[in-house]
Amino acid sequence: MRNILLIARREYMEQIRGRAFKISTVALPLLIAALLFFSSTMARKANTGRHIAIVAEDAALANEVRQQLFDDKYAHYYRVDVSAPATAEERAMWQEQVRAKAIDGVLAIDSSNPDKISATFTSLSVADISANGSLRNALNRGVINERMIRKGLAQADADAMLAKVSIDALQLDKDGKIGKSNGGATVIKATLMLILLSIPIMLYGLDMARAIIEEKTSRIFEVMLAVTRPSDLLAGKLLGVGGVGLTQIAIWTIGATLFMGSALATSLLTGDIEIHFSWQEGIFFPIYFVLGFALFSAIFSGLAATCETAQDLQKFMWLAIVPLYTAMGFLPVMIKDPNSAWSIAATLFPLTSPYTMISRMGMAPVPYWQIALSVILLLLTTWATLWFSSRLYRVGILMYGKRATLPELLRWLRYS
Amino acid sequence: MPVVELVGVTKAYEEKIAVSNLSLSINAGQMFGLLGPNGAGKTSSIRMMMGITIPDSGAINLFGKPFERQSLDRVGYLPEERGLYRKMKVLDQLVFFGQLHGLSAEESRRRAIDWSKRMEISDSLAKKTEELSKGMQQKIQFIATLMHDPGLIVMDEPFSGLDPVNAVLMEKTLLELKDQGKAILFSTHRMDQVEKLCDSICLINNGKAVLAGKVREIKATYERNRVIVEFEGSASFLSSDEIAEAKNYSGHAEIKLKPQGDAQKLLHEAAAVAKIFRFELVEPSLEEIFIETVGGKANA
Repeated sequence: MRNILLIARREYMEQIRGRAFKISTVALPLLIAALLFFSSTMARKANTGRHIAIVAEDAALANEVRQQLFDDKYAHYYRVDVSAPATAEERAMWQEQVRAKAIDGVLAIDSSNPDKISATFTSLSVADISANGSLRNALNRGVINERMIRKGLAQADADAMLAKVSIDALQLDKDGKIGKSNGGATVIKATLMLILLSIPIMLYGLDMARAIIEEKTSRIFEVMLAVTRPSDLLAGKLLGVGGVGLTQIAIWTIGATLFMGSALATSLLTGDIEIHFSWQEGIFFPIYFVLGFALFSAIFSGLAATCETAQDLQKFMWLAIVPLYTAMGFLPVMIKDPNSAWSIAATLFPLTSPYTMISRMGMAPVPYWQIALSVILLLLTTWATLWFSSRLYRVGILMYGKRATLPELLRWLRYS
Repeated sequence: MPVVELVGVTKAYEEKIAVSNLSLSINAGQMFGLLGPNGAGKTSSIRMMMGITIPDSGAINLFGKPFERQSLDRVGYLPEERGLYRKMKVLDQLVFFGQLHGLSAEESRRRAIDWSKRMEISDSLAKKTEELSKGMQQKIQFIATLMHDPGLIVMDEPFSGLDPVNAVLMEKTLLELKDQGKAILFSTHRMDQVEKLCDSICLINNGKAVLAGKVREIKATYERNRVIVEFEGSASFLSSDEIAEAKNYSGHAEIKLKPQGDAQKLLHEAAAVAKIFRFELVEPSLEEIFIETVGGKANA
């Protein structure tokens, strides 16, 4: 045990003092912050300064829709031109303006049949969901307003009837407590958790593998094996490198907590986004990190011991990438229904559960038995992988000259 | 009581037998040479002594007891494949290895500093290993092997890569350790060093011991049929009927006599044509014994 701790401390101190640790500790949160800032700025910019034209037969309806667009605080239209009643030339002119990128789009309202009003929106970009949503909303409210006025209602009464009703989404947690639910924040949080778990697990897992290959190349293993067992050497490395990962996560957590409580955060994070973490997430985040790291590090340690160079290891990279992409692929499924069969499967399957379970916990209460089963499956898989890897490791680290073939690897597993 | 003892040890990898029924023992205060051509099984034997691999059959005893890992705290091992943590500072590295051998951090540091003075590398203690020359790295590894004061020192090719000055320094240190009662085993291809340093040897070939015993006794079993002559004048005596083989290096001749060759007759023939400064009948060198024993396959 003394040697395991000595090896762990050496690994830990070496990495903590290294440039890579310092850079990644600062760079990763900055990168995530920059991405969040960039995407929110882009989203805000996309919603400002939109200029469209409305062409219709019914001028009152067109003006009402225009007014509705201006009244919608999320719509961000700085200029809405109205041609009503519009001639064929005017319609063609506005279409040409769209094509020439002089305006963002044309909303054409066909009210020839008052009972069946239809509309088209022509723009160069069809994928602008938020613009289409605000247009649909404005058009519907405009049409309803027009219909109410035609039925003889006073404008004030029509306005009163169209007054907006807001819905506060509430989420019930396992303990029966009700909290405010924020869909946008949930998606951001789930993505953030996946990134925060997957990047360190992958980085430190591959770091272990690279260190093993480097030590194999520098022939340090034979010296070490004369003073300690291969299993102690592997355990010490896992503990040391895992400790570095936990330290990094702790630094990020403390940094994020200090930042969220600062005046800078208040000025930067304006809007509806509020991210909260439950005690459950706080407890299971390090558990899933440690188990995920142990699992992937065990896989890569065993494989690295069979390689001669870092290039040899590249051939096994798919083992790291496929589970990560699978977990990312499951994220939209979990966001849509966190308790669907696929969501449950993704959070129980040991190769994806370290990435997905914490994200799912943030979306909906996860039954305790599922968390327990997920942890047990992950533990068993990690234990089995460590068993196989330590066998490959103790033979592989003394094999120099060429990368082992599959039959050789199978023979190594049989060596006592 | 032997410090290390191998009794009928055999180790095979797949179809290849690396070591076959090897027995040897080394006592305290003894310097032992493990010799053999490349691939003979020297490193395999040493790895089994160090518990890195396990013998298929036979027994290994360390300090009078069957092999157990705790005994390795009293063993210093310098493997053939040298290895140090490249990014680590020299002193940190030495302290780490000392601690792995059971020393406290303070004691480890004290000994590392003492040894670095002895091995003349004090200036390098604060440097990273990767900044040092190969020879310097070898000296650091040498210190790491010895700083926990082991009773048994095992060194696989300890002199390879060292310049003559540092090789002499290391030889001197090993002789001092031998005088202190340490058992020392080393493998090498350098027969001159074996002859100079070792009391006993074991020559292995194809995994089997083909020659073992005290150097003096082994050499005594070989006939004294080598002659060294230093002379001035005609070298025509080198074509004498008594000579099987002769090398002439400008006044220094190394001669191998025929099986029934007469050294006295040769001396007369030489004295008749040249002025003789030295005429010495010598026993074969270890190198010659080595080559003769392994059938000229050695890579020494």
